[in-house]
Amino acid sequence: MLDSRRILCAAAVAALVAGGLTLGERRGDAKRAPPPPSVLPFAVQQRTLPNGLRVIVIALPGSGLASVRTAVRTGARDEYEAGHSGFAHFFEHMMFRGTVKFPQEVYQRIYTELGAATNAYTNVDMTVYKADVAAEDLPRVFEMEADRFMNLDYALQAFQTEAGAVYGEYRKNRSTPDYQIDEAVARTAFTRHTYAHLTIGFEKDIAAMPTMYDYSRRFFQRYYRPENAVLLVTGDVQPDAVFALVEQHYGGWRRGYKPPKITAEPVQTAERKVEIAYEGKTLPIVALSYKTERFDPASVDYAASLVMTELGFGQTSPLAKKLVIGERVVQRLTGSPGQSRDPGLLRIRAIVADPTKVDYVRAELDAAIMALREQLPDAAQVDAARSRLRYEFLMKLDSASGIADALAPIAALTGGIEAVDQLDASLARVTPAAVQAAARRILDLRRRTVAILREKQP
Amino acid sequence: MKRSSSIAIALAALSLASACTVRTGVRGTGQGGRGGGSADSDQRGDGGRVEPAGGNGGGGTAEPAGPQPSVLVPATDEPLIAFDVWFQVGSQDDPPGKEGLAWLTGQLLARGGTAAHSYDEILALLWPMATAYSANVDREMTTITGVVHRDNAIAFQQLLSDAYTTPAFAAADLERLRAEGIAYLEKGLRYAFDEELGKAALLDAVFAGTGYAHPPQGTVAGLKAITAADVQAFYRSHYTADRVVFGLAGGWVTEVQERLEASRAALPAKATAPRAPAPAPRPVTGRRLRLVDKPGADASISLGAPIDVGRDDADFYPLFLAVSWLGEHRAQTGQLFATIRGARGLNYGDYAYIEAYPDGGRRQTPPTNVGRRRQIFEVWVRTLPNASAHFALRAAIREVDKLIANGLTQEQFELRRHFLKKYILHYAETAAARLGYAIDDRFYGLDAPHLERFQKALDTMTLADVNGAIKRHLQTRNLTIAIATGDATGLRDAIAGEAPSKVAYASPKPPEILEEDRTIGSYPLGIAADRIEIVPVDEIFARGSRR
Repeated sequence: MLDSRRILCAAAVAALVAGGLTLGERRGDAKRAPPPPSVLPFAVQQRTLPNGLRVIVIALPGSGLASVRTAVRTGARDEYEAGHSGFAHFFEHMMFRGTVKFPQEVYQRIYTELGAATNAYTNVDMTVYKADVAAEDLPRVFEMEADRFMNLDYALQAFQTEAGAVYGEYRKNRSTPDYQIDEAVARTAFTRHTYAHLTIGFEKDIAAMPTMYDYSRRFFQRYYRPENAVLLVTGDVQPDAVFALVEQHYGGWRRGYKPPKITAEPVQTAERKVEIAYEGKTLPIVALSYKTERFDPASVDYAASLVMTELGFGQTSPLAKKLVIGERVVQRLTGSPGQSRDPGLLRIRAIVADPTKVDYVRAELDAAIMALREQLPDAAQVDAARSRLRYEFLMKLDSASGIADALAPIAALTGGIEAVDQLDASLARVTPAAVQAAARRILDLRRRTVAILREKQP
Repeated sequence: MKRSSSIAIALAALSLASACTVRTGVRGTGQGGRGGGSADSDQRGDGGRVEPAGGNGGGGTAEPAGPQPSVLVPATDEPLIAFDVWFQVGSQDDPPGKEGLAWLTGQLLARGGTAAHSYDEILALLWPMATAYSANVDREMTTITGVVHRDNAIAFQQLLSDAYTTPAFAAADLERLRAEGIAYLEKGLRYAFDEELGKAALLDAVFAGTGYAHPPQGTVAGLKAITAADVQAFYRSHYTADRVVFGLAGGWVTEVQERLEASRAALPAKATAPRAPAPAPRPVTGRRLRLVDKPGADASISLGAPIDVGRDDADFYPLFLAVSWLGEHRAQTGQLFATIRGARGLNYGDYAYIEAYPDGGRRQTPPTNVGRRRQIFEVWVRTLPNASAHFALRAAIREVDKLIANGLTQEQFELRRHFLKKYILHYAETAAARLGYAIDDRFYGLDAPHLERFQKALDTMTLADVNGAIKRHLQTRNLTIAIATGDATGLRDAIAGEAPSKVAYASPKPPEILEEDRTIGSYPLGIAADRIEIVPVDEIFARGSRR
């Protein structure tokens, strides 16, 4: 899968949440003082194994189902060596190719017996492995999951075959305008940092993957280590039993993480532009991408950038009201704040409904951006944006697997889930002045990349 | 967690949900249990077909007596509430030449203004709740759905009910949504979503001349021809008190339900439009191939044939098991996946279905509220290089043929039964999904919830049931194939000429795979040149096939 940028829009007004929301029953420990109010409407239990593996358990009784997420804090960002773009994603595929103890056929057979829903995804910052299973099958699942993270073993032939499947995934995606614009923006906006390539990788690197068997083993040794992973378990489980199983099966996983040698991106000093001629039919797309700050939940400035993005480019922004609803010259307007481990991009994208109006739409975008920098937003609007961010997160918590899916990216970005409450506290402190300051800080012409995609002219 | 009872708990939860689902004794005209249909059923068109048990008239053509009771799936401690307002209308009801009318009407309700608010005001009101309602228009069903946190339930319900009771049908909203529909067909489906294009081209061919042929978004000419008066007339004649079912799931309070149900009074009492009969696909003899010529594209393959097995049929669950073995959606355990991707790495995935599965590339578990009285057995081979397309098509058809010839072994059957007993628990994990299934139970007129019946069927099913269902319902003699491809003429010549197909692998393959490749590469498809049509991509969905 490709970049999933909207990783988290977490927010909450903790006081409102504390009493009222329960998803399942709250399982407190009577011997301890009650925990401080949390955005999360359920108890969270955590332990860190001596080898550094962080384990987070959320018990939600009643469904008979359990969800396991292993968040490996490695993604396309970590592909710092030339010629190896796309490897984190490719490696995600290899993780389903078996071990000595559970060769692929056996692994597949057991998961088939268990009726497990297994999958995985990779983006620029993380690789997340998913298993949704019957809770009674967790002992078996941990045995197999731990084994593949510790003892992955695959033959050259399987490796080469899987490279073909990755190429197929690339083919499936490359024909879309969104893919092409993402690719052009990444390589234009970043000159040194690994965010210059998309998760799937450069095509020439994908084509060369079958020759990189030895490198793949090094990749595994380097990154698939307990101190670089977080294990999340949600659902109809007893936390103590989960911790015991995890210690039994993952206790022998050895430390040895080697951080990637990522080059910091130099400060951009002038606007960059890229035009994409699309082979096929499409409405034109105008994409403005500004260098922005890393995901930093404890920072009020960062939280203000989330509010600013919602107010400036969300569906109720003056810009959307005018261009999408009023004049209908834009079919869709989106704004996504940066939510990456290293400083990334705030992205604004407009699909232009009338191909003759590209310049007009650009001018309107610029005017709206100027207004965000010049005008103090209304306090009521800031409150509405806070509410939206809060409910956006809470509404993801719709099932054991929904909760696991909402928390896994946070765990991958930060190493834990404290960020949920940190961001909540930061958002509570965002003022209209902080929102305007975020606009002035981030929406700087010198630090943006303008990409325009249109149909190729014959 | 070593609790042998957890599956039982999950089942109990399903039963509880069903117990709370209000059902009615009103039945459609149909007769349940159509077991024993012929594998060649598509040969006889629809002449011998009976309507399925229509429940409350959802799937059937009979008019229900009196208002239809709500579908309720309570879970009082859940903080989220799912709403599902089902109107018994769909794109099959589009008049010829106005394809897209049901879709456009549904979108105007969910994404347009109302008597009380303009659309931008509605967006501003929904925005702090971080939610919205949407209209999902399929061939036979239109549902307006949304999920809201219970903090915001009343405010959300008011906006939702306004949407279908007092739509403003503003000219600006109509033009905005019409343009979006046309852009979807002209730019999206034709040029950006090759896999959906292949699937849509297959349905268009199988159901040509019927209301199922065109995608719900319609055709380009159809969307352009629709007037504001058409939309209003369509709304008045289909969105009526006798054709709506209200659904709620999660932790709602009584007031929410009362207000939702009270909105029925604001709808016209009686539908004036007749209920559409189930479509009758034209009989197909032999195999035929439609190539959608899209310059520059890789190959996306879909193939299928009508089947005559609904959820109320004794053969449905055994056939589901067999086809799950062949290619459960997005699971790495199917035979098609193992053959085409697992052993050969030709593409990203290969799956098989006995019920409609729109938007498969974007979902992991089956969709709800896409109930249809006519279904096809369908195989989906995801995008691969044009040079591998002939081979992959042969491989896919050969796997289906092997399944028909050999059936499953006892071991394969037991393993797949184990798999499904737990895997289908994931089909309905959220309140919204449970509600979607409960609404569909009403559509299909089931006497117990589908997933509960599925579990029971798995408990009692035998290998003979499965292999019998395969023989009765699957066949590849009469088959429609659609391929979106950048090499239409090359593929036509290779397929019509039964040219041997080879795969050039980037890496060595084991001898048994290479041996099997020789068999696959010469597997006869039997599609003569006059059974192959090439459709330029800019012509597909340009206009409807009904007169």
